[in-house]
Amino acid sequence: MKEQQSIRPPRWVFRFLTFFCKEEFLEEISGDLEEIYHVNYRAHGKRSANWRYAWNVLRFFKWSNIKKTTRFNSNIVTMTRNNFKIAARVLWRQKVNTLLNVTGISIGIACFLLISLYVKQEISFDQFHEKGDRIYRTWTLEDYGGDQQFFYTNSPLPLEKALEDHIPDIEMAVQYNRNNFLVGEDNARINETIAIASPEFFEMFSFPIVNGNQKNPLADRTSIVISEAYATKYFGNKTPIGEPISVLMNGENRIFNVSAIMQDLPKNTGFSFDMMISNANDELLYEKRALQAWFHVSPETFVLVKENSTLKAVEEKLPAMIKTVLGDRMEEGEYTLGLQPLTDIHLNPDFPLGNMPVGNPKYVYVLGAIGLLVLLIACINYTTLSMGQSMKRAKEVGVRKVVGAQKSGLVWQYLSESVLITFIAMVIGLVVAYLLLPLFNNLANTNLVMPFDFESLWVYLVMALGIGLATGAYPALVLSSLKLTNVLRGGQSSMGGKNVLRKSLLVFQLLLTVFLISSTLIMKKQLNYIQNEDLGFNREAMVSVALYPDPEGQGLGDNFTSGFKNGQLLKTKLEANPDVSDVAMGSHIFGSNGWMKVGFNDNNDAFKQFNLLVVDPYYISSFEIQMKEGRDFDPALDLDKRESIILNQAAVDYFGLTEPIGKKIPGEGFGNHTIIGVTEDFNFESLHSEVRPLVITQNDQTIFSGINDISINDSPTPKLVFKYNGTSLLEVKSILDQAWASTFPNEELRFDFIDEKLRLMYQDEARVNKIVGIATVLSILIASIGLLGLTILIVNTKVKEIGIRKILGASPVKIFAMLFSDFSWQLMIAIVLSVPLTWYLMSNWLKDFAYQINIGVDMFLLSGILAFALTTLVISYHAIRAAKSNPVKALRTE
Amino acid sequence: MKGTYLGEFEELVLLTVGALYPEAYGVGIMDEIAKETGRSVNISAIHSALRRLDEKGFVKSEMGGSTNERGGRRKRIFELTAFGKKALDEVQEQRMSLYNRIPNISFSS
Repeated sequence: MKEQQSIRPPRWVFRFLTFFCKEEFLEEISGDLEEIYHVNYRAHGKRSANWRYAWNVLRFFKWSNIKKTTRFNSNIVTMTRNNFKIAARVLWRQKVNTLLNVTGISIGIACFLLISLYVKQEISFDQFHEKGDRIYRTWTLEDYGGDQQFFYTNSPLPLEKALEDHIPDIEMAVQYNRNNFLVGEDNARINETIAIASPEFFEMFSFPIVNGNQKNPLADRTSIVISEAYATKYFGNKTPIGEPISVLMNGENRIFNVSAIMQDLPKNTGFSFDMMISNANDELLYEKRALQAWFHVSPETFVLVKENSTLKAVEEKLPAMIKTVLGDRMEEGEYTLGLQPLTDIHLNPDFPLGNMPVGNPKYVYVLGAIGLLVLLIACINYTTLSMGQSMKRAKEVGVRKVVGAQKSGLVWQYLSESVLITFIAMVIGLVVAYLLLPLFNNLANTNLVMPFDFESLWVYLVMALGIGLATGAYPALVLSSLKLTNVLRGGQSSMGGKNVLRKSLLVFQLLLTVFLISSTLIMKKQLNYIQNEDLGFNREAMVSVALYPDPEGQGLGDNFTSGFKNGQLLKTKLEANPDVSDVAMGSHIFGSNGWMKVGFNDNNDAFKQFNLLVVDPYYISSFEIQMKEGRDFDPALDLDKRESIILNQAAVDYFGLTEPIGKKIPGEGFGNHTIIGVTEDFNFESLHSEVRPLVITQNDQTIFSGINDISINDSPTPKLVFKYNGTSLLEVKSILDQAWASTFPNEELRFDFIDEKLRLMYQDEARVNKIVGIATVLSILIASIGLLGLTILIVNTKVKEIGIRKILGASPVKIFAMLFSDFSWQLMIAIVLSVPLTWYLMSNWLKDFAYQINIGVDMFLLSGILAFALTTLVISYHAIRAAKSNPVKALRTE
Repeated sequence: MKGTYLGEFEELVLLTVGALYPEAYGVGIMDEIAKETGRSVNISAIHSALRRLDEKGFVKSEMGGSTNERGGRRKRIFELTAFGKKALDEVQEQRMSLYNRIPNISFSS
């Protein structure tokens, strides 16, 4: 007996059964289930029996067994069911109308969903860290007055320890840095980016470790954490934990052991690494001086503020800390340290770029707004169409009222229709968005994924309901408040006033569409402009190859000399090929920002900065850069190798030189040098900024000896460039492969086409343009659908009028003109109104470019003509058919 | 005739109800079917089939005795109605008449 009682199926499952099951079946069902439970309990044990019990209960959860509670079985439920039934019938009856409405809204929803996915990814950057609200990144501002301000988000190496030591409000500080290393054994080395971080990195940030040492994955110097993707890349199916990975550091192969595997980083994080080692390795990577220096910066430093402390408390203690660690080396106010929230980094362009990518928040807002606009256009579409439709349904309303329908009842009746439509549209929209996602990713160069979890399902549901109520509200109110007597008497005079609203909605919708068309055109024009603009150098068919400096070399000087020396070997090989010409080498090439920038104090002790380009004597002629004055480097002249320099026009102006040939840069300390030529300005950085002063030299040492500041954001390792004169671009790879393999068999070949790299500089803009373009096409589609619906509607209501006009002698052309004039007026108003809106918003966008197009009248004319052409196209078919129809048919029946 | 059609599974359940008389109830029928045909059927399917048979009038039921194993709950005991028996007879008859017409030659070798 005792044993029998102790065997009991899980209580909560049983409770669920009693909750849903009809009283009359409950006893037999629960009895049978318990009997089976007992059998299973003996045969399979408790756990298994519990699972089977739950499964069986679930199997009973079907319509015939479910309680029909009396609680909900009220008038509301019945009426709602009835409303939806009627709605479905009405929609089915007006097939064309329903089709147009559903198509319009589902396109709108699909477009909105796609864009919102992008926006969501952008604004969710690094929002998922558990301690994220307490994590901050440090920034530094050095201010020495005048032009000498240095603002950066990277930080000196000793900062981490100083913060932890001096500020008790900080729980921990973590360094994060990225560097390129050659990974692998001698003849299979790959250039990889490896992150270098403090051992507490995984404690501070929520990046899950899936395998290996979870507690302290970066425990010692030789630990390396790799991502799941890299585990497969390097070790295939083997268990990678404990396996060695060889990394070339400062000319020495060092062995690291895989200590843990982390989940691949999500797409919405600013961190970007597949391999991470401990910053205990800094000792191997930096000289002793750099490890202690407060003015040498490279990693980013993050701090975690203690839970019971605040940002303010930390910030107040920072100046005192600086004073302690820097002592007398700094004047008051010259060195400021601050904190920026982690979640703020991705969309705040006011802070300089560190390791984390920064997006343009403007684009995110613009795209979000456009997504909403398209949805709005779709909604307005539905509203205008159903308001037009309401004329037809006036009689129905009258009859319902006579039978005794309340106003609220009628409102719900019509709302059910719009809710039903939006639900259908939602489902279609979701499917369309899902199917179009790969195309969207491809076009906009994104990699988004569509979430199908429980939470987003709710969002979709609420969204459908919201759109349904919003779009249906006005027509429902209008319809339900029609005066009974007016309607049944046949007079439709009461509808006159409502037409104004309908028309203005149509105008508004057209306005948005025209606005989108003109914006896309203007953006496209600007992008074409910057991509085809004469940059002052030849970029066609130019190929650049990254060279290798001597890994054991010290300092920038060695980097240049050994890089150029290696390049010379490759150059000889390449020049043997008839399709290759204009081979040259330089420290930087076009298509990447952040060329080396140096600063010095000029003769008047003013701080001046300029970009420095170290080249071989062929660079300028290879790129066909035009000389304004003087001459290019002469390869035969040794003097040029030692002390000749060339300036660009911007540098001549900046230094205030007149007749610069034969003069010097106005500063002390530079080595022997003479200006031998001046080039025309060419845009060596992106067109977002003006051309900056540039000094070109073959001998870096003459310049380096006179400067007191240097910053480099683009790799200064020499590159070799050449022009490819052949026809097949694929051949470039094979030419290079051959030459490379016989020169540097152990190194990885990396090359780029320069025009491709230039295009990538405007990737952000191109993406926005693509997305706006997609939205525009869709909005045009939606607007056309709306117009089509309206035309059908108007033609239908004017059948008799057209008939009578024809009998009185109106020609088909006249009738077409009559139908068309109504729309064309609204379209005209929309176009005129769109001009100031477009102009204002687009000139704002153009401000981001130093070189911009004029927003000409032509743009607006073009979009106006486009809009007119589309409108004509859409309404012609029905209008012409109405104009040509036989009037007898229209008038015969009454 | 709509509503009196007997599906394959329904027929099986109906036969079992007849065979188990007077002790035919949910779990018993399920076990019997498993034993006779080797088909493992979920209990909810048995209940649904029984309810359909009940609606069609092939079986009738009443609440019967309870046992400890069922947590003190009573069983619903099913038995064949005359109509149900007739339906089974008809099905059987149709089968047999068709079966008897299978020519012997085809399997004689």
